[in-house]
Amino acid sequence: MEILDIEGLSFTYNAADTETLKGISFSVNEGEFIALCGATGSGKSTLLRLLKPQLTPLGARTGNISFLGKPVEECASAADIGFVMQRPEQQIVTDKVWHELAFGLENMGIKQQNIARRTAEMASYFGIEDKFERNTADLSGGQKQLINLAAVMVTEPKLLILDEPTAQLDPITASDFINTVKKLNRDLSLTVIIAEHRLEEVIPLCDKLLIIENGRLIAFGEPKEVLSRVYGREDIMCGMPAAARISAYLGERECALSVKEGRELVRGYNPVPNTPQPAETNTSAAAVLEFRDVYFRYERQLPDVLKGLTFTVNEREIFCILGGNGSGKSTALAAAAGILKPYAGNILVFGKKLKEYRNQSLYKECLALLPQDIQTVFLRNTVREELEDAGADPSELPFDLTPLLDMHPYDLSGGEQQLAALAKVLALKPKLLLLDEPTKGLDAAAKRTIRELLRTLTERGITIVAVTHDVEFAAECADRCALFFRGEIISTAPPEEFFSENSFYTTAASRITRGHYERAVTAEKAAALCRLGGRKAVL
Amino acid sequence: MLVIRNKTARSVIIRMFPFILIPALAILGATVFDSDKHLIISLAIAVLTLFVFAAGYEKKKVGTWRMVIASVMTALCVFGRFIPLFKPITAITIITGMYIGSETGFLVGAMSALISNIYMGQGPWTAFQMLAWGLIGFAAGLLADPLKKHRALLLAYGVVTGILYSFIMDIWTTLWYSGGFDVGVYLSALVTAVPYTVSYAVSNFVFLFFLAKPFGDKLSRIRVKYGV
Amino acid sequence: MRGFTELNPGVLMIYYLFVIGTAMFCMDPVVIIISLAGAAALFVTLSEKRSVKLHLSFLGLFLIMALINPIWYHNGVTVLFVVNDSPVTLEALLYGIFASAMIIGVLYRLRTFTMIMTADKLLYVFGRLSPQLSLVLSMALRFVPLIRTQTAKVRSTQKALGIYREDNIADTLKGEIRIFSIIATWALENGIITADSMEARGYGEHRRTSFSVFRFTGADGIFLVLTLIPSAVFIAAIASGEADFTFYPAMSGIALTPLSLAGYCAYGFLSLLPCVLEWKEDIRWKYLISRV
Ligand SMILES: Nc1ncnc2c1ncn2[C@@H]1O[C@H](COP(=O)(O)OP(=O)(O)OP(=O)(O)O)[C@@H](O)[C@H]1O
Ligand SMILES: Nc1ncnc2c1ncn2[C@@H]1O[C@H](COP(=O)(O)OP(=O)(O)OP(=O)(O)O)[C@@H](O)[C@H]1O
Ligand SMILES: [Mg+2]
Ligand SMILES: [Mg+2]
Repeated sequence: MEILDIEGLSFTYNAADTETLKGISFSVNEGEFIALCGATGSGKSTLLRLLKPQLTPLGARTGNISFLGKPVEECASAADIGFVMQRPEQQIVTDKVWHELAFGLENMGIKQQNIARRTAEMASYFGIEDKFERNTADLSGGQKQLINLAAVMVTEPKLLILDEPTAQLDPITASDFINTVKKLNRDLSLTVIIAEHRLEEVIPLCDKLLIIENGRLIAFGEPKEVLSRVYGREDIMCGMPAAARISAYLGERECALSVKEGRELVRGYNPVPNTPQPAETNTSAAAVLEFRDVYFRYERQLPDVLKGLTFTVNEREIFCILGGNGSGKSTALAAAAGILKPYAGNILVFGKKLKEYRNQSLYKECLALLPQDIQTVFLRNTVREELEDAGADPSELPFDLTPLLDMHPYDLSGGEQQLAALAKVLALKPKLLLLDEPTKGLDAAAKRTIRELLRTLTERGITIVAVTHDVEFAAECADRCALFFRGEIISTAPPEEFFSENSFYTTAASRITRGHYERAVTAEKAAALCRLGGRKAVL
Repeated sequence: MLVIRNKTARSVIIRMFPFILIPALAILGATVFDSDKHLIISLAIAVLTLFVFAAGYEKKKVGTWRMVIASVMTALCVFGRFIPLFKPITAITIITGMYIGSETGFLVGAMSALISNIYMGQGPWTAFQMLAWGLIGFAAGLLADPLKKHRALLLAYGVVTGILYSFIMDIWTTLWYSGGFDVGVYLSALVTAVPYTVSYAVSNFVFLFFLAKPFGDKLSRIRVKYGV
Repeated sequence: MRGFTELNPGVLMIYYLFVIGTAMFCMDPVVIIISLAGAAALFVTLSEKRSVKLHLSFLGLFLIMALINPIWYHNGVTVLFVVNDSPVTLEALLYGIFASAMIIGVLYRLRTFTMIMTADKLLYVFGRLSPQLSLVLSMALRFVPLIRTQTAKVRSTQKALGIYREDNIADTLKGEIRIFSIIATWALENGIITADSMEARGYGEHRRTSFSVFRFTGADGIFLVLTLIPSAVFIAAIASGEADFTFYPAMSGIALTPLSLAGYCAYGFLSLLPCVLEWKEDIRWKYLISRV
C-alpha cells in the first residue's frame, strides 16, 4: 500500500533566490526502508522537513505531498510521522529519561496509566530499562540517540524519518543504531526514510535508494540497480560502500553492496601478491610529541582515564589515533595541549616538558588544538571578526573562506565550520597540530578536501596528530595509525599493516579482501589489485 | 479560574494585579491584623500572586518558542547565580521582559529563583524572591519601549531595581526575625545589607551595559534565522 | 511503610507546609525546643557527612541573632544590667534566644527539605499545578548542567587557542564576558532545535497531561493522616489561646491545660515522625542484612 506520494515538489526558502528543491516526484510503499543520499547542501534536510508539517521551513512550496491518500498537512497529526534529527543532545527536551519517553504521550493528552504502560514497553524494547530514572544529560551520545528514537516510537508513528541520525556517533554505536532502526522496520513493518552520509551500513539494509543532487532527484529504485547506473559518477560513488565502489571501479554488471557480496566479487579475481612499498619512514626524524608513562584521572575518586600512555610522534607525519567511545582519546589530546594536567609521567613537546613552557609560549607558534566540539572555537558574530581576533590573514590560508566571511559561525554547515575553525587555529602558526575528529558529519567530498589540506600542511613542515572514528579517512591519509584502548596505545603501525591486522577496527575494503589480497585497505587499492589479477576464467 | 473574554479588560486586570492589588492587600493586612501576623499575610500574598500567575499562564496557549526561550533564559540566570560577586540574574530577567514580553519576564524571574534555590537552599524566602524577580521582569516588559530606546534609562532601571530588590528582601528578613514589621530592625537590616545592595546595583549596571544590546541582537538573529 | 524520603512528593510538601508553617509563627518556648530538636535530629539522620561547618555556621548565626534583640530592645520588667543608660532586660534576652532558636530550627528543617525535594520531586508537585510551567521547569533544569559543561569546554578551548591570556585582568574579564555571551547564543540556538523537536512530537496539539513516576500509595495516605490530625490538634491549641506564651512586658508561664498539653504532644509527634520513620527503616535494613 502506498503511504507517501510526492509529486512535482519544489521549494524555495524565503531568504534564498533559487529553488532548493526542483520538481521531485516519488512514492513510498508501506514497510519500505528508504535511504536518501546526496552531497552537503543538496537539499536532503529540506526534503525531509517538508514531509513533516510541524517542521516545514518558511518558504514557497509547489507540488503535492500526500500521506495515506490525503495532503500531508491536513491529516498527519504529529504522532503519525516520527522525526529524529542529527544532534542527539539537542532534541532532548526534558531532564529525565522517563519524562523524555512520556513527553509525546503527554502532548497527546493520554492518561497516566496508559503512559506508564507505553513508556515501560518502549523502554524494554530498546533495552534502556536501567536508564529509566537517569538524567538525560548523563548518557553517552549513542544512548541519547536511542532515547530520541524511543521517544518518537512511543506515539506509534506510521512513518519514521531520520535526518543523519548517526553523524555524531562512533562506528560501532552507529552500526548498532542503524540495526535497531532496521529491526523496527522489520518487526513493526514501519516505513523508514533515512538520510545519511555514512552509507557503509545503511545501503546494504535498504529497500530503495534515493539520490538527490542540487535539489533534483537523479535516481530512485533498488540500490543495486541505482548504483550500477551511476558507476561513472565519481563524486557520487566516493561516498558509497566499499563493495559498491570496487564494483564500480571494475565495471561489474551486478553491483555488490555488503561486505559479504564484496568478498564473493573479489574472489572472482585471481590473487596477486601485494608487495609492501618500501617504508619511507626515516627513523632519524626528530620526535615532536612524546608521551612517557602518562597517568591522568578527572577526579580523585574516578578511575584512571590515561593509564601509562606512551607514544612518540615524529616530525612531519600524520599520526591517526583510533579507538572506541570513551577510551580517552580526547583526554590524551587535551593533556598534550596542556589543558589537563596528568598526575604522573611526562609529556614532551619538541623535546621540552610541558611544564617548562611558561606564559602561553606553548600556544605561540608551537602547538594548537582543534577540539571535538567545534562550536567551542567560536566567540564572535562573524567569521571575519573571528579571524581578526586570532590575527589570521584570510589570504594566507591554504583554502578559501571569502564567501563565508560575513556569516555567523553558527550558520555555517558542518564542513564549513570545520574549515573556519581550522583557519583560526592555523593563525597561531602551530608546528604541531592536534585535531579531534576533524571529519565528523562531513560528506565524502568535504572529507577529501580535508585530507588534501592535511597533506599540504605536512608539506609546509607541520606535524599532525588526528583522533578519528573514520577508519576510511585514516586509511587514506595517515602515515601511522594507533589503536587506543582503555587509556593506552596498544599498537602502532602504518595504515596498510595496521588495518590488515585488525579485524574490527578496520576498513570495509580490508574486510572484503582479507585472505585474498594482502594489505588492501582502501577500495581503490582493492580494485587495482583485482584489475591486476584479472577475472578468473569461468570453468 | 475565570477567564476574562474582553482583551483590554484582561490586560488591565493583569497589569493592575501586581501593582495595585498586592500593595493594597499588603496594607490592608497590615492595618486590619495584629502586627505579629504580618509574616503570614505577606507570605500568603506572595504565594497567592504566584498561584494566580501560574493559573493564568496555564490557560493561555503559549507558543513553543516562548516556552523554550523562557527556559533557556532561566537556565542562564541560574547558571549566572554561581558567578562569584556579580550576579546577572536580574539583568537577564530585565532583558527577557524587555524583548520577549512581561509574562515571560515574570516567568523567568520567578523560575530562576525557584530553580537556583534547589542548589542554594529553599525556604519561605523563595516565594519572596520569586515575586521580587518576577515583578522586576514584568515591569521591564511594560516599560519595554522606553527601555529599548534610551540606554541610560535602562541602566538606571537596573540600578534602581537592584536596590529595590535588596529592600524587598530586607522586609522579609525583618518580618521573619521580629514577627511584625519593625522600623528599627528594618533599618539595621538595610545597613547590614549595604554591601549586597551595592553589589546588586553594580551587577545590574555592568551586565545590562554589556549584555542588553548583544542579547537583543541574538534574539532578533534567532527570530530571523528560524522565522519565529 | 516506606522511609520518609521515599514518600509521595505531594505528601512531603504538605508535611513541610504544616511543620514549618506552624513552627515559624509560634513563639512558645516548648514548641520552639521541640521543633529545633526534631529538625536537627532529622538533618543529622539524613546527612551522610558530618557537616561540622554547617552546624558551626548555624551556631554563629544563633549567637548573633540572640544578642541583637537585647541590644535593640529594652522592653521587659526584669533589668539585668545597664549599658550606656539603656537597660538590658531578661525578657528581651530570652526573646532573642528563642526567636533565633526558632529560626535555626526552621533553617535545619529547610535544609532537610532541600535534601529531600530533589528537582524531579519539585517538578512533580508543580506538574499538578500546571503542566506548562512544569515543562518550562524541566527544560530549564536540563539546560543548567548543559550550559555549565559547555562553558567549561569553551573556556579550555579558548585557553588552548591562547587568545585570552590569564595574566591580564582586563583581558580575562573581556574574555569571560565574550564567553558568557557566546554561551547565550549557543543556548538559544540549541533551544530552537529543542522547540522543533517538541513540535515534531506534537507539543501544543492537544491539552497536555502530566506523567510522573511517583505514585500515591497506602503508606502515603497513612502518613497524610498522621500529619493532618496532629496539625489540627496543634492549631486548635494555639487558636484557643491556651498555649499562648508572651514575653513582654513580663513572661507568662507555660500553660498546662489539657488542650495545651495535647497541642505540645501533637507537635512533638509531628516534628519527630520523619526521624522515627527513617530510624525504623535503618533498623529494618540492618536486621534484613543480618538475616541474609
Ligand atoms: N533557512 C534557510 N534559508 C535559506 N536557505 C537555506 C536554509 N536552510 C538551508 N538552505 C539552503 O538550502 C540548501 C539545501 O540545504 P539542506 O540543509 O537541505 O542540505 P542537506 O542536503 O541536508 O545538507 P547536509 O548534508 O549538510 O545536511 C543549501 O544550499 C542551504 O544553504
Ligand atoms: N570532564 C570529565 N569529567 C569526568 N569524566 C570525564 C570527563 N570527560 C571525559 N570523562 C570520561 O573520561 C573517559 C574518556 O573520555 P574521552 O572524551 O577522552 O573519550 P574519547 O576517547 O575521546 O571518546 P569519543 O570517541 O566519544 O570522543 C570517558 O569515560 C569519559 O566518561
Ligand atoms: Mg541536512
Ligand atoms: Mg573524543
